[in-house]
Amino acid sequence: MRGPVRGTHEGSLAVSVMAVHEPEVARTIRVMVVDDHPMWREGVARDLAEAGYEVVAAIGEGAQAVRVAAAVRPDVVVLDLQLPDCSGVDVIHGLLAAQPLTRVLVLSASGEHSDVLEAVKAGATGYLMKSAKREEFLDAVNRTAAGEAVFTAGLAGLVLGEFRRLAARPADAGPNAPSLTDRETEVLRLVAKGVGYKEIAERLGLSHRTVQNHVQNTLNKLQLHNRVELARYAIERGL
Amino acid sequence: MTLWRALAVFRVVTLAYAVILTARNFQRYDHPYAAWVVIAVMATWSVVTISAYAWPRARGWPLLAADVVVTAACVLSSRWIVGPELLSDGTPTLTITWMACPVVAVAIARGRSWGAAAAVALGACDLAVRGLITQATVTGTVIMIMAAIAVGHIALLADQAQERLRLAAEVLAVNRERERLARGIHDSVLQVLALVQRRGAELGGEAAELGRLAGEQEAALRALVSPGDAAPVSGMVDLREVLGAHASAGVTVSAPATGVWVRARVAHELDAAVGAAVDNVRRHCPEDVRTWILVEDEPDAVTVTVRDEGPGIPAGRLEQAEAEGRLGVAQSILGRLRDLGGTVTITSSPSAGTEIELCVGRSGAPTKARSPLA
Repeated sequence: MRGPVRGTHEGSLAVSVMAVHEPEVARTIRVMVVDDHPMWREGVARDLAEAGYEVVAAIGEGAQAVRVAAAVRPDVVVLDLQLPDCSGVDVIHGLLAAQPLTRVLVLSASGEHSDVLEAVKAGATGYLMKSAKREEFLDAVNRTAAGEAVFTAGLAGLVLGEFRRLAARPADAGPNAPSLTDRETEVLRLVAKGVGYKEIAERLGLSHRTVQNHVQNTLNKLQLHNRVELARYAIERGL
Repeated sequence: MTLWRALAVFRVVTLAYAVILTARNFQRYDHPYAAWVVIAVMATWSVVTISAYAWPRARGWPLLAADVVVTAACVLSSRWIVGPELLSDGTPTLTITWMACPVVAVAIARGRSWGAAAAVALGACDLAVRGLITQATVTGTVIMIMAAIAVGHIALLADQAQERLRLAAEVLAVNRERERLARGIHDSVLQVLALVQRRGAELGGEAAELGRLAGEQEAALRALVSPGDAAPVSGMVDLREVLGAHASAGVTVSAPATGVWVRARVAHELDAAVGAAVDNVRRHCPEDVRTWILVEDEPDAVTVTVRDEGPGIPAGRLEQAEAEGRLGVAQSILGRLRDLGGTVTITSSPSAGTEIELCVGRSGAPTKARSPLA
């Protein structure tokens, strides 16, 4: 069981009842939607509300989103990378600087590769195409809230490519460049080829949980490396 | 403009030359000390013109005319200072080559004809100072006229080049703006298509069909607008872009964020092989079977994997096709990869679908076949 909320109406009812009795254990997941398209924003917010999530804000601009997030403290931010006023990476930095425990799920329409990779390096823990089905989307929000990394095959391909790039050009990567273990590479390749976690677990003789951990570790390594590199850069520039 | 800077350098060098020759000869002059006064005037005028010509707005007729007059005065003063006898013996004038500076300036600012006119005027002064016309004295003037024409022509070419550059920059800016707008519009269209696809699937029936169509269009548009990188070496192609064309609602393409550069022939063969594999899935599998294409860029090889969740290829199916003399899909893929010196690994099982791994070495590096995943 991943979280208290299931993507159904019954689930939402159960949560609100539980919330009365055990507010600490089964709190409603608070979601903020950041997307500059009103139609999309409302559609997503409605889906989330119907599925029992508490949509604490739906916002169309990045800077405003960072300000509002500090006040409403969402558990999950569903973020479109294409915003009118600032880059998705800036928003993620702003959100995580104010509240490190907020989880960011990136949603993108155009699937622009380098954008998505930068967002994940900046600290987003999930990525989904906008063409994903409603159930896939709700499942992704759920898993993001539970602290899991939400990978699409496309994101796995990007992350795999990034590790290969760092390995091939040690000079660019700086000291302590992260690398994948053989197992992590194996798992990531399978995710990139669209194999589900369950089947990966079966193929490799691992538990579902272990597969998840391997996937998550790859993200953690990339994000940690990114933070170290940013700090190194800042020190070098005397910032 | 760089031509003006070149003139400034020319002015300094020719001034230095004039100073050296005066230092060597002044004791033989009719008025030795007046020679240094003229040299001082030339030095001052050099400083004035170098700094004045640096300003585009100062390059008008007043300064050009003054340049010609001052230089002509310096040339003419030689008659009195150096003396007619020495001059007719072949001793140079005080200014020597420095005399050509205003000619070059006029040629740059006003073109070939005016430059040649200035050269004739100063050449006349030179001849007047010497008092006799011989082949040796005329040569200097002729060279000055030729220089004026050459410099004037270069200035014209430089102007045209600059104008073309400006136009190109303008076109580039317009295109950038258009691309920016297009990206915004594409993004909006993608959003709407994604929304239609999602809502359509939920509503079912005819709406689901509309949703499916929207999904196909969305994938096609996304492949079209995904930004391409410029090739680092000509003749190289980004494999991501080539294989990205196979993306559709049922086909997902995963690739690195940076370009995967291969020779055009390699890209073409891989593209055809992937196309054959994707077609095969479409032909032999139920309609809703999904396909994934993974592009991997390794230092010594490029690997492309096509995986589907179909029922798998029945055992003996490939051999049967070959025995019947038909070029099975596997054979056509194998043939293409063999030509490239690559390897193909086909894994198929009824539960896990089919996985075709294409591996091509980089520039002759031997490819090591990866063991098929169980």
